[in-house]
Amino acid sequence: MDSTSRQIRFTLNGRPVSARVESHLDLVDLLRRFDLFGARESCGQGLCGCCTVLVDGVAVSGCLTLAQLVDGKSVTTVESLDESGELSHVQQAFIDEGAFQCGFCTPGFVMMAHELLKQNPDPNETEIRDYLAGNLCRCAAYPEIIRAVRSAADRMRPA
Amino acid sequence: MNVMRPMPAGQVGRSVPRLEARQKVTGRADYVHNVVVPGMLYTKVFRSTVAHGRILSIDTSAAEALEGVYRVVTGEDIKTIVPEPYYGPAFHDQPVLALEKVRHVGEPVAVVLAEDPYIAAEAVQLITAEYEELEPVFDEVEAVTSKAVVHEVLRPAGTFPDLKHLVGRRDTNVALDYQLRRGDVDAAFAAADHVFEHEFRTQQTMHTPLEPMVSLAIPGHESLTIHTASQSPSFVRIEIARLLGWPENRVRVLVPHLGGGFGAKLYIKLEALVACLALLVRRPVKLSLTMEEQFYTITKHASTFRIKSSIKNGKITGRRCEVFWNGGAYADIGPRVTQKSGFTAPGPYDIENVSIDSVALYTNRPPAGALRGFGIPQLVWAYESHTDLIARDLGIDPVEFRRNNILREGREQATGTAMKDAAIEAVLDDIAQKMDWSKPFDRGTGTVKRGRGIAIGFKASISPTTSVAIVNVYGDGSCSVYLSTVDMGQGSDTAMAQIVAETLGIETENVKVIHPDTDVTPYDMATLGSRSTFHMGHAVKLAAQHARDQLTELAASLGLPAGTNYGPKELFKKKYGMQAGNIVGVGSYIPEYTSPAPETGLSANVTPFWMVGGTGVEIEVDTETGHVKILRMINAADLGRALNPKVVETQLSGAALMQLGFTLFENMEYDNGQVTNASFADYKIPGIHDIPARIENDIVEAEQTNGPYGAKGVGESATFGVSPAIANAIHDAVGVRLTEMPLTPESVFRAIRAKKG
Amino acid sequence: MRGFELVHPASLDEAIKLLDVDDPTVRPFSGGTALMLMMKTGVFQPSILVHLGGLEAEHAAVAVTPEGGLRIGALATLTSVEHSAEVVRVAPVIPRAMKRLANVRVRNVARIGGNLAHGDPHMDLPPVLSSLGGAVTVRGPGGTRSIPIEGLFSGYYETVLTRGELITDVTLPSQRGWASAYLKCTTRSADDWPTLGVAVSLKVTDGAIAESRVMVSAATEKLTRLPSAEAVLKGANAGEDAVARAADAAAAEAETIDDARGSAEYKTELLRVYVKRALGEAIRNGAVQ
Ligand SMILES: Cc1cc2nc3c(=O)[nH]c(=O)nc-3n(C[C@H](O)[C@H](O)[C@H](O)COP(=O)(O)OP(=O)(O)OC[C@H]3O[C@@H](n4cnc5c(N)ncnc54)[C@H](O)[C@@H]3O)c2cc1C
Ligand code: FES
Ligand code: FES
Repeated sequence: MDSTSRQIRFTLNGRPVSARVESHLDLVDLLRRFDLFGARESCGQGLCGCCTVLVDGVAVSGCLTLAQLVDGKSVTTVESLDESGELSHVQQAFIDEGAFQCGFCTPGFVMMAHELLKQNPDPNETEIRDYLAGNLCRCAAYPEIIRAVRSAADRMRPA
Repeated sequence: MNVMRPMPAGQVGRSVPRLEARQKVTGRADYVHNVVVPGMLYTKVFRSTVAHGRILSIDTSAAEALEGVYRVVTGEDIKTIVPEPYYGPAFHDQPVLALEKVRHVGEPVAVVLAEDPYIAAEAVQLITAEYEELEPVFDEVEAVTSKAVVHEVLRPAGTFPDLKHLVGRRDTNVALDYQLRRGDVDAAFAAADHVFEHEFRTQQTMHTPLEPMVSLAIPGHESLTIHTASQSPSFVRIEIARLLGWPENRVRVLVPHLGGGFGAKLYIKLEALVACLALLVRRPVKLSLTMEEQFYTITKHASTFRIKSSIKNGKITGRRCEVFWNGGAYADIGPRVTQKSGFTAPGPYDIENVSIDSVALYTNRPPAGALRGFGIPQLVWAYESHTDLIARDLGIDPVEFRRNNILREGREQATGTAMKDAAIEAVLDDIAQKMDWSKPFDRGTGTVKRGRGIAIGFKASISPTTSVAIVNVYGDGSCSVYLSTVDMGQGSDTAMAQIVAETLGIETENVKVIHPDTDVTPYDMATLGSRSTFHMGHAVKLAAQHARDQLTELAASLGLPAGTNYGPKELFKKKYGMQAGNIVGVGSYIPEYTSPAPETGLSANVTPFWMVGGTGVEIEVDTETGHVKILRMINAADLGRALNPKVVETQLSGAALMQLGFTLFENMEYDNGQVTNASFADYKIPGIHDIPARIENDIVEAEQTNGPYGAKGVGESATFGVSPAIANAIHDAVGVRLTEMPLTPESVFRAIRAKKG
Repeated sequence: MRGFELVHPASLDEAIKLLDVDDPTVRPFSGGTALMLMMKTGVFQPSILVHLGGLEAEHAAVAVTPEGGLRIGALATLTSVEHSAEVVRVAPVIPRAMKRLANVRVRNVARIGGNLAHGDPHMDLPPVLSSLGGAVTVRGPGGTRSIPIEGLFSGYYETVLTRGELITDVTLPSQRGWASAYLKCTTRSADDWPTLGVAVSLKVTDGAIAESRVMVSAATEKLTRLPSAEAVLKGANAGEDAVARAADAAAAEAETIDDARGSAEYKTELLRVYVKRALGEAIRNGAVQ
């Protein structure tokens, strides 16, 4: 084991956990150790959003986050969204609108869409595009993604 | 639950959500990236820094000394496992690790195996190699005559009869020279009212699937298991078995979901390397590429297309096409692209006299293979730009000119194959109508000019290729379909389940699709070229029919009257006295095909079906900066009957938007053979702001009469027309013609300036 | 990128002490977005990273100064600046520019001090903040000093910060009477780093331009002020004619450079157009204020 490694404690999807972590390890690789694969590395440069997770409730790129820095923090991944057994409105809207093809980018888009709707429950198309501009989909399901976010907003609006 | 609840017909043609939708939105879908096995070693590749050179020495000692490094392997070590370690689908030209020579920057030269991926990455930095640099060649046209020769001897794989004549050919970069001669083009040129000649070029680009390539090999007792992100598990098994001199049954290849493929994960990529490494160190070995490394692995051909046409009375009477394909250092499937796409180079037009030379070239760039469209987008780019230029010059409306020359049902295409079920004119008409083509068009004001453009293209299917499927009905009446088609996002799992459901009269959602596992799922040539719906669709339908026929026989053998209400569950129960047994239906399909005659390139049956696609765009050009904005994009395609309209629509839109990136800005840039922008920071792909404000996708009503339930492939059709439609629209807006992709703002700006003088 | 140490100082002074060494592999780490990119590609191999994030409580506030300007702690994230009511009120051009700066996740962690210290010319905030007359407060082993942002950059990825010096605050003067605009021009995908960034601020009195700051970046080796354009504007009527002449002066003065986003020649032409458009937008913004 690396001399620069440290024991860290953090909350992972609501449960306290701990891990021995080398200084160079990034958050995506740390999550893999917990068998969580929904956040995944693609570009490795903060540009595609495939590695999106929340740290203390704020969306970050796991690939640009050093694992040691989540010590004492709370980390939330896409796997938390359906813990109740039910899909979230955003997830269901993505299915209904066909907002993905290969699905590799999907957890990242789903996480970002949740963040957007938390901050802005009724976003227009420009606001959706602005917010999701840091997520890439090589299958280019963008038109369907925009529709899915609109549709999720409608579903989440109190009747 | 009665899982065989009879359904009214209509499984096919229904927009069933993807079967795997839930796994994908929850982040729980299986990808090879998730696979970790005990004792697994991680690897990192040490790559060539020169484009063409003889390897003088490789020093791995410092890397080997690093704590945590298990071993460093070079090409010579690979030879102890495979004495002739050269692989490839068309040519056996690619060494597992470089031997004697390197032929492109980024070529794998050595590999570090370590307990930890970060250690492997650090160790690679400690490896050094010395090369004697050789003169490189990078340009496809120069490669024809260049003194620099990439491969001393050509080594065609032997599986393709039309490559046999190349065996042992020396001192040439020409990997294939496909020719087609029909009529007499020179006579047509001599008799013409007008002759037009242009040259068009396309740039090298990369597929960049968001899931980078990854493979894992696990050695067993006289066997090998490979988990790989591959579009062609059957081919991987055959090729690995060939390299090792093993029977196929000792190699098992498994493919879960793919995070995008687009042709990048075809044939054999990392599998030969992980297989050799696993056998060498007798431990599981995983190789995960980074986004950067994908750029050194496989790309889309850069190309040069010289096209010349004669016109008489508004009709195209002759066309000469010379196409040069920049195949890079290893042939991969390039020679197939050269031929299979080459024969459509004159476009979907009815032309008496045609001459085609389509030439695959080796150069010292990273290898080029198949990318969504298999060469067709490069060809359509040229012939539809050319067609537009001719129409404009003759003062004929571009849509009208196309209509006057279009290849109609029953007429012979250049190869001599008669057109059948190819709704070319319908696609053109559909786009023109949606665009209100005959109405006046707002041309913009001030410095912002507006224009519109149309382009159509077509493609033959890859033939002849085989697909085999199994439908297994279980004791309770539930069933699975076993196939080696890879669902990389195109929705094939769902489409195949729909075919099974339709045939057996059950609900699609109750059909389980067994993912490729060559120990279990039968042979399929590969998931490529939009062949799956047609080929595998047929095989699956046959397998389901076979199962259904056996159920009918079973009922009869049990003395039940024809048309009995007994479901499979009751039949099994009645037969075996308990819930037991299986009915296994098998289907196998290969279409008919006549290979083109070597001298003329002609064939009466060159493809079982044609794919047709087109695009129309309305754009805005900022004449002060050259920026092009796509206001509206209409994609239309003939895909026969849509098995799943919603999935089909997203395929059209996804294909067109991918091609939009290739058209406007994607470009691999080089400095002396080194790709200088091999990452998303510098190689930009379309993001959410780049998509047109309005995008419409149209499925043209048609039926592929010989297709399964009237269907045919769709994954590529919407790529065909995008690039020339945009170039044509730019011409329409500001009167300048771009002949080289990508159509960057700077190139538009320069052309406008040049025109102003 | 293995084998470095991540240290967590308890105060700014401790951080400065840790950084006061003659070793370029010891670096401050704020949001880490720029550093992680460099570390992942092997451009930078650190030995010690001094993590400043723990000092957020004392150094991330955004406040309006008594003069009506702004003081922003260096550890404020770009997102907190973007959404700060004070920033929106005093300098609305900042949140407007933020919308297209990197992406939400990067803005959530990148900090304004790290952003300015990075020195990459292809960035959006340096032209914006300098056109607003901004300065950074810098603390180091030798004490505290203030540096105008327009003078912060000495070259390509180079700043005038010396050993052990840390940016602690960004300050902006009052913007009363000033109107500003920032235009980002990209030439590849829309979400790219800028090919050209033009930020302008104008003080218009009775229809005439009393003062101006015209800043360009990305197309030039470093953030550059264009005094010749400002000279054309000074005293001129805030109209099309002055704007066009200023744009020509800007194009003549700026030394643009070639890169993958475009040739120098082309960028000069872009610059002419974008200076013109940015000035037009600033004038319009001023009119509605
Ligand atoms: C995916 C991506 C896209 C981007 N796109 C854009 C874009 O479109 N436009 C744009 O403008 N920028 C863009 N950027 C750059 C981004 O703005 C910077 O990475 C970010 O602002 C840097 O801030 P940080 O806190 O993360 O810096 P860090 O990475 O922590 O540090 C950057 C540098 O500053 C030094 N440093 C940090 N804090 C201090 C301090 N207080 N005092 C002195 N030195 C310090 C560090 O040692 C390092 O050298 C992009 C970045 C990424 C990752
Ligand atoms: S992998 Fe982290 S943003 Fe792309
Ligand atoms: S669905 Fe494939 S990358 Fe988005």
